Amino acid sequence: MRLTRSIASALLLFSAGVAQAASAWGFDEGSLQIVAKKSGDSVKEKLDPKAPLAKPVTLGSLDTLKLGLTAKDSGKGKRPHQAFLVLQEQDSGLEAPFPMMVKESGKAAVQITHKDLPVQFLVAKKPLKASIVLASFGASQGFNAPAFEVKLEIDPNAPAPKYEKPLRYGKQPEIHHIFRPDPQSPPKVVSLFFTLLVVAALPALLIGWAVLGGNVKHLSTAFSRAPISHATFFGSIVAMEFVFFLYYTTWNLFQVLPVMAAVAAVTVLSGTKALGEVQARRHLNTLLAVNTRLLPLVPTSVLRNSGQDPVTYDMRF
Amino acid sequence: MRLSLSFIAALFTAAVSAVSTTGNRLLVVLEEDADKQIYSKFLGDLKSRGFDLSFESPKSESLSLFHLGERSYDHIIFFPTKMKGLGPNLTPNILVDFLNAKGNILVTLHSNVAAPTSLVSLLAELDIQLPADRTGLVVDHFNYAADNSSAKAHDVLLLPPPRPARSDVKDFFSTGAGEDDVLAFPRGVGATLGASALLNPVVRAPETAYSYNPKDQVGALTADDLFAAGTQLSLVSAFQARNSARLTLVGAAEMLQDTWFDAEVTASAGGKKKTINREFAKRLSGWTFQELGVLRTNWIEHRLDEPEDPRNNETNPKIYRIKNNVKYTISLSEYSWDSWTAFTVPDNDDIQLEFTMLSPYHRVPLSWDTTRSSDSAAAYTAYFRLPDQHGIFNFRLNYKRPFLSNIDEKNTVSVRHIAHNEWPRSFVISGAWPWIAGVAVTVAGWLAFCLVWMYSAPAKKGVKGEKKTQ
Repeated sequence: MRLTRSIASALLLFSAGVAQAASAWGFDEGSLQIVAKKSGDSVKEKLDPKAPLAKPVTLGSLDTLKLGLTAKDSGKGKRPHQAFLVLQEQDSGLEAPFPMMVKESGKAAVQITHKDLPVQFLVAKKPLKASIVLASFGASQGFNAPAFEVKLEIDPNAPAPKYEKPLRYGKQPEIHHIFRPDPQSPPKVVSLFFTLLVVAALPALLIGWAVLGGNVKHLSTAFSRAPISHATFFGSIVAMEFVFFLYYTTWNLFQVLPVMAAVAAVTVLSGTKALGEVQARRHLNTLLAVNTRLLPLVPTSVLRNSGQDPVTYDMRF
Repeated sequence: MRLSLSFIAALFTAAVSAVSTTGNRLLVVLEEDADKQIYSKFLGDLKSRGFDLSFESPKSESLSLFHLGERSYDHIIFFPTKMKGLGPNLTPNILVDFLNAKGNILVTLHSNVAAPTSLVSLLAELDIQLPADRTGLVVDHFNYAADNSSAKAHDVLLLPPPRPARSDVKDFFSTGAGEDDVLAFPRGVGATLGASALLNPVVRAPETAYSYNPKDQVGALTADDLFAAGTQLSLVSAFQARNSARLTLVGAAEMLQDTWFDAEVTASAGGKKKTINREFAKRLSGWTFQELGVLRTNWIEHRLDEPEDPRNNETNPKIYRIKNNVKYTISLSEYSWDSWTAFTVPDNDDIQLEFTMLSPYHRVPLSWDTTRSSDSAAAYTAYFRLPDQHGIFNFRLNYKRPFLSNIDEKNTVSVRHIAHNEWPRSFVISGAWPWIAGVAVTVAGWLAFCLVWMYSAPAKKGVKGEKKTQ
């Protein structure tokens, strides 16, 4: 099986060779020339139809590439209908044909500068592949073979060629929304430290007041003089704070407002009584402090809190 | 029960639209009745697929593409005519109107016959350029049929089966063709395509092919005369408008003729080969007349993907919250000759869903959802998290691909921000502890102040002080 196949392929090769030998296009006297515009220097290479040039040639932005050859049909100079120099961009496979000017004798020539090239070639990263195509009507086998590679040198001072890819329907790059970072807390140790500092302010405040002489020694006096109003007044202040606490934890504004109104009414009503008592006590104390001489005149029962109305008590002085 | 109902419904729809998704009234524009004979196999294939063919000459005065503002035909085929134009009933304007009304057009050209100006203008409108003088001949001295006259003139191109140029495009035109089969392209005209995304070459010319004018470029071809060469030449081109109406340009009308259907040809490189022109003509006309590559959206569903949320079961809610996890599912079917089938995405391609407010915030691929797919519909699903931006957003599925009809679905939803009672409580946040402690200390301090202010006995120091001043 394998043997027959190899025989067949050998036969094919042979027959192809025969066909080529019988009648085939080719070229002679192929030459490639790069002419620099400014200096007039030129690089010249000889083209071989059987093998492409080993090294890529460089074409500057103002240089001209000149290719000349003599097209031959089975060794005889002749004009082919198709005599193209085809440049190909290697990544995309994009091709641009450059027909040669051909004379009856088969002498063909073509000139290429950067202006003649499509912009996709100018932005290409790899060297362009150049191949020569010579073919015509009739039975002669066409010639199509790579001839050389050409590297384009873009003038760094000139504006770079721009190529915008045309719109093609297809898959687009994925997009994933970048979320804002979540709010962050400092390390718990730091929070705890400052929490302790804040909590420590309360004992500091209480100690400060105590040092300055603050006390609650009249608590029993006040409660014995006006027990109900003092209890409700202070109780309502505590209750108001509790309402605030409930607002913070579970209640909403509409639950809070009526309760606050009720507590506030209690505060006002009991407050007039309770604060009146406080004022009277202060007044008495001030008088006592200023007129210490009068102290003996005041009945001790009064000073010791007789439970009478402070207003009537005031009237005595 | 439900299954049998849907089965009956499927049967019913199949019976109604046995041919094309857009209708079966096909107008064939032919100049001479004799031409029917040379295209008899092609036209017979169309008839057997259920098309209702009506033949008209462009000269006919009764010919009208529209009746009371509605299309009189669903599809048109233009065969080459010797007329310079196509008369007042087939002006480029009317043909563009026909495309806008979702009608489909198949245009064929022949190198021996100059293309009618009406068609040239229509093609130019779509950014398809024909050679100057409305005619040209594509030859290739390397891939030609070495039979009869073509052995010398090289004007019957033998092309490999037209595979798609891109790996992510579905193969509509060459499935089933063997590598040894060839597509004959006899005496055809090549066109060049503009950069529009709506245009796609179906068959490109081989690298060594070129187009020339056989009348005045016989001797040699100069650089100025060359219209186009190589793969830049499109031999068969397809255009699909935004409304999914289709126009196909076949450069060689002869490739649809009986002589090239299942014919045997001798390739220039050696060996007898079979042409696949009949199958290609069937597929090309099937694509043009909306029998292939037509997509349909069956349903779209979006919902929350938060198992703990009480609104998780609501389908297509109008409002979401930022950072919600959501699920989007779309069911798609593809029409294939006579029935709706499940649409499978080509390899290397993806259906992509965008979540947009002016610009996309997310563009995510959808994956096949087997549980909700059937033989006639495929469900595709995407899961993602809504962006942390409130506003009016769209679920946008814009699936436009070469040779597939366009799908552009938009579902608008509101995305609200997080309500005040949806945030974590402040005591959970460790950074808030000093502030909460501050409030607590203030409350305690206030109560202590009230106690001291109301119940403090006068300080003794003060009394002493008073004494000193005395």
